Amino acid sequence: MLHALFELMPLPVRTLLAGLPESVKGELEEIRIREMRPLEIGYGGRFAFIRPDGTAGGDYRSGYKPTREDCRALLESLTDHSLYAVEEELRRGYVTVAGGHRIGLAGRTVLEGGSVRHLRDITGFNVRIARARTGCSSKLLPMLLDRSARTVRHTLILSPPQQGKTTLLRDLARAVSSGDWNDPIARSWGGRKVGIVDERSEIAACERGVPTFDLGPRCDVLDACPKAEGLMMLVRSMSPEVVVADEIGRPEDAEALREALHAGVRVIATAHASDLADVFKRPALAALADEGMFGAYVLLSRSGGRVEHSVFNSAEAEEAMRRRHGMRPWAAPRDAPRDTPREAPAAVPPAAGRAPGASPELAARARPMPPIRSPNPPLSSLPNPLDSGGGGHA
Amino acid sequence: MLKLIGAALVLFAGTMIGFAQGARFAERPRQIRHLLHALQRLETEIGYGQTPLPEALQRVAQAIPKPLSALFAQVASALRSGTGVTVRECWERTFADGWPSTSMRGGEREALLRLGATLGGSGKEDQLKHVRLAMLQLQAEETAAREEQQKYEKLSRSLGVLGAALVVILML
Repeated sequence: MLHALFELMPLPVRTLLAGLPESVKGELEEIRIREMRPLEIGYGGRFAFIRPDGTAGGDYRSGYKPTREDCRALLESLTDHSLYAVEEELRRGYVTVAGGHRIGLAGRTVLEGGSVRHLRDITGFNVRIARARTGCSSKLLPMLLDRSARTVRHTLILSPPQQGKTTLLRDLARAVSSGDWNDPIARSWGGRKVGIVDERSEIAACERGVPTFDLGPRCDVLDACPKAEGLMMLVRSMSPEVVVADEIGRPEDAEALREALHAGVRVIATAHASDLADVFKRPALAALADEGMFGAYVLLSRSGGRVEHSVFNSAEAEEAMRRRHGMRPWAAPRDAPRDTPREAPAAVPPAAGRAPGASPELAARARPMPPIRSPNPPLSSLPNPLDSGGGGHA
Repeated sequence: MLKLIGAALVLFAGTMIGFAQGARFAERPRQIRHLLHALQRLETEIGYGQTPLPEALQRVAQAIPKPLSALFAQVASALRSGTGVTVRECWERTFADGWPSTSMRGGEREALLRLGATLGGSGKEDQLKHVRLAMLQLQAEETAAREEQQKYEKLSRSLGVLGAALVVILML
């Protein structure tokens, strides 16, 4: 798999990379090529510079420095000698090559009317190696199930860059579409129809429209399509039960996600964030999270080579948010009344039992709610009085 | 008897040289025309199809007749070979090596090499501009070539016959 990627590299770089020990090649995550600066690789959570004799070491001074010619040849082969065909990608700062490897580009931007029109003098390349880790979501998936609806919950996967969001997303899509739920209760569910909007061609790595990664049997991929439009196209045309999209961030993405969420389609998405509080700081995501759209948040973190994930339900996410807003007296009443109906579809164990209940019951139950929602008393003690006051109004 | 056979041979050879020279004059504008068609095709591939260059050149090669098509196909396959060559290098090498097999001259060659140096290296609009510029230059060359053809095609043919006749007369 790496062989095809190495073929794209200019000859000197290719020889150096091919000469790396197999153990390093097996864990390779990034290759960073910068003109006249040392060649760097990232592997297994570490980084190293490659010396001209083909060995890897920590000292950057002895690293091999790719020349101007190397970089030009690399850019040409990455774009298949056709910059004109990848203008849109250049504007966004990356191209994706066969195999789903994304290559980030840095250079000098050309502006037009204040927005980036083009990238020129490209001298920085970050080759991110895409890997299918089949089964990497098997531990996580049982925690994301919505047992009453026999499918997955609306899920947002969060992590800083390079923690394996896309890899996890890919495997989730595979597991859902092949019915690989890894849960005794879900054994009879079968797979779900999955629609993937693969804006960067990273999830599926389509070649002539056919995914090169295993995404299960019931998967439709809209390749290289902008998320906002693609989500709607999928919902309209392919009748998916679960839609999958990578890296939500722009307001129009959030808008499209909201549409899909309301269209009765389950959504699995990823976003850049280091913790739950970040979600509420990013305007597009905050709007969605505020409405309690997501039933589960998965936070990825990596220690050494292992990827750890922790799952939060929407109630816990709101708790995190309230921790930030709790200090402000005006924040609680605005938050509180909306809380009660919002948790109903979230399939949190206590809430799930209540969901089918009649609506008058909701008002009656509003008071004892806060202690259930916030399991750790020291933190919840702050917003509690405000909360119950708000609940009383409703 | 021997003299007569020799005279006939000289006459024949001279005529042939004249005809070959004339055919060169006739062939040049035709090949420039083919080249223009090729560039027109390339323009469409870049402008509308946004076809990657190797494939675009391959298609161009299929659309035009022999000596030129081989050159375009050669560039396309070199780009696909994955040896890390740049378009500029392999374009220059191919057209410099293959030029003698065509009937074209220096002007067309210049225009083509200049195009090769920019091909694939910029945005769509810019590429189209370069292709059109090359086409304009080629059109100018084509008119010049046609004028030359009218002037010199017949001239070189008759010159061949007459030259041979002169040699024969001198020899007799």
